[in-house]
Amino acid sequence: MRWRSDFWVSGLQYLILGLWGLIVLIPLLNLLMLSLKSLPGIVARPFSLPSTLHFSNYVNAWKLGDLGIYLFNTAWMSVLAVAVVLGLGSLAGYVLGRFDFKGNRFLYLVFLAGLALPIQMIAVPYFGMMEALNLINSPWSLVLLYGASGLSFSVFILTAFARNLPTELEEAAWVEGATPTYVYWRIALPLMRPILASVGLFNFVSAWNGFFFPLILLTSRHNMTITVGILSFIGEHLTEWQYLLPALVISMLPPILVFLIVSRQFIRGLTSGALKI
Amino acid sequence: MRRARRRSLRPRPLSYLWMLIPGLAVYLAFTVYPFLSSLRYSLYNWTGVGALRDFIGLGNYSFIFNPQGFLHPLVRAVLHNVYFFGLSFVLSCLLGFLLAYLLYSVNTRVSAWLQALYFVPYLIPPVVVGYLWSIYLEPGFGAISRALNALGLSWLNLPYLGSSRLALPTVVGISAWAGMGFPVLLFLAAMINIPSEILDAAKIDGAGATTTMTRVIFPMLRSTFVTVVTLTWLSSFLVFDLVYVLEGTQAGPNYATDVFGTLFYRTAWGGFGATATGMGLAAATAVVAFFFIMIIAALMVWLQQRLGRD
Repeated sequence: MRWRSDFWVSGLQYLILGLWGLIVLIPLLNLLMLSLKSLPGIVARPFSLPSTLHFSNYVNAWKLGDLGIYLFNTAWMSVLAVAVVLGLGSLAGYVLGRFDFKGNRFLYLVFLAGLALPIQMIAVPYFGMMEALNLINSPWSLVLLYGASGLSFSVFILTAFARNLPTELEEAAWVEGATPTYVYWRIALPLMRPILASVGLFNFVSAWNGFFFPLILLTSRHNMTITVGILSFIGEHLTEWQYLLPALVISMLPPILVFLIVSRQFIRGLTSGALKI
Repeated sequence: MRRARRRSLRPRPLSYLWMLIPGLAVYLAFTVYPFLSSLRYSLYNWTGVGALRDFIGLGNYSFIFNPQGFLHPLVRAVLHNVYFFGLSFVLSCLLGFLLAYLLYSVNTRVSAWLQALYFVPYLIPPVVVGYLWSIYLEPGFGAISRALNALGLSWLNLPYLGSSRLALPTVVGISAWAGMGFPVLLFLAAMINIPSEILDAAKIDGAGATTTMTRVIFPMLRSTFVTVVTLTWLSSFLVFDLVYVLEGTQAGPNYATDVFGTLFYRTAWGGFGATATGMGLAAATAVVAFFFIMIIAALMVWLQQRLGRD
């Protein structure tokens, strides 16, 4: 449905939309540009295009700044956390959405309640727990945290999705005497793929971007994730801009990349109401 | 008879319930259990090392509610969170709604590209967003102050992050810049899902774009507004990363940007500017804040269900 609008109205619409687009885009592109400048250029002329592209900034940040270690830690931690959420979450969502049993509603509400839980609330006991499990200063503590806390939102979404899946294939499978495990793996999981992409994106972003828990749980440099690792470029008296800027650019690329891969399914899923909150 | 047959076809509970166990176990162990034990930690004086020994009953709570003790910094921080919520609500509901409405009415291809673009800052680590803007807002050599000077607007060249009056609104603005994509998508989704018969009927009745917006689209989006408000409320209390990066643990200038997250961090893990420290005290503070957040969030959900019904 489109409004018949005259030239000026639609021009104004595009103007406002384009303006916000620029407000979003310019700082990001400018950051990219700054990261390729020499240190005097960063400080003296932030707007001008770099005269020569200093890719060496990236090389140096990588070599001198332990960037590779931070990225590696963040990557495996986030991927494992997402795997935990998608694996366990799709199993639980399938059972809760598909089968009627005593306590179904209660368990659903238990998962749902976590949606409203401010995650900092569990910080002190979680710290104590990780101390007891000897996982302080290990990214495994984050895999458990993001894997577990992400289940709340994910089970909520996946249960709703599983509930609305078509039943014909499944009924036929029961007649054939198939086990629920088989039906989950061969019928339900393939049908859930589009929603798994969206749920995976949300969980990847929150694990990759997480800052508060890495800050309190990770202490030594070779175990840090990227968000806390970046802090080491900020000195008490001197900020190493020529290393900080490439680090900022690199650390925001993976979530954007994952978004580009699933963006179609994600936006369609959201606008079609599948991700209704 | 039919019922009995149907049931015999369905698998038995034991054959599927096991699939629920791993997820439930991980969730209970690493989210629900720590949540419940924060109530226990709040009754102890604990420095963060070793077992809980020093039981002090409600001592932490009486310190929190003591006007000479912790009450003042806690109320100040929570009020900053409420301010954060208020201003983000205005920004994300007004600007977010406007952008969603414009995306809804322009060409679908352009709209799809812009939706993706608007969502990008939401994906960037808040720590990076913080550094990005602290570079631009640097009063000396920052890009924004240079641009303002070059345009002859040097009276607007203010210490946005360094003045106690401007710091908090600036942090909220940066947070809204990063978070705008999400409410835009939620509003847009709700607009797309308005049945076209209703819009056609409005058009046949001679409603113009403005009337349709105020009389049809706006009322039909009431429950989406409440969703956005509820999500903004909950996320306003999670603010930590941005303040930490832009203003440090002491949430300067002079605690002008101190929110619950930074107060909690200083109380539990110390750091520059801490008023009082202790992990037990921090846990008790979290419990008090939790009940405050939840009571209001519950009211919002209740409101949403009432609005959704009619």
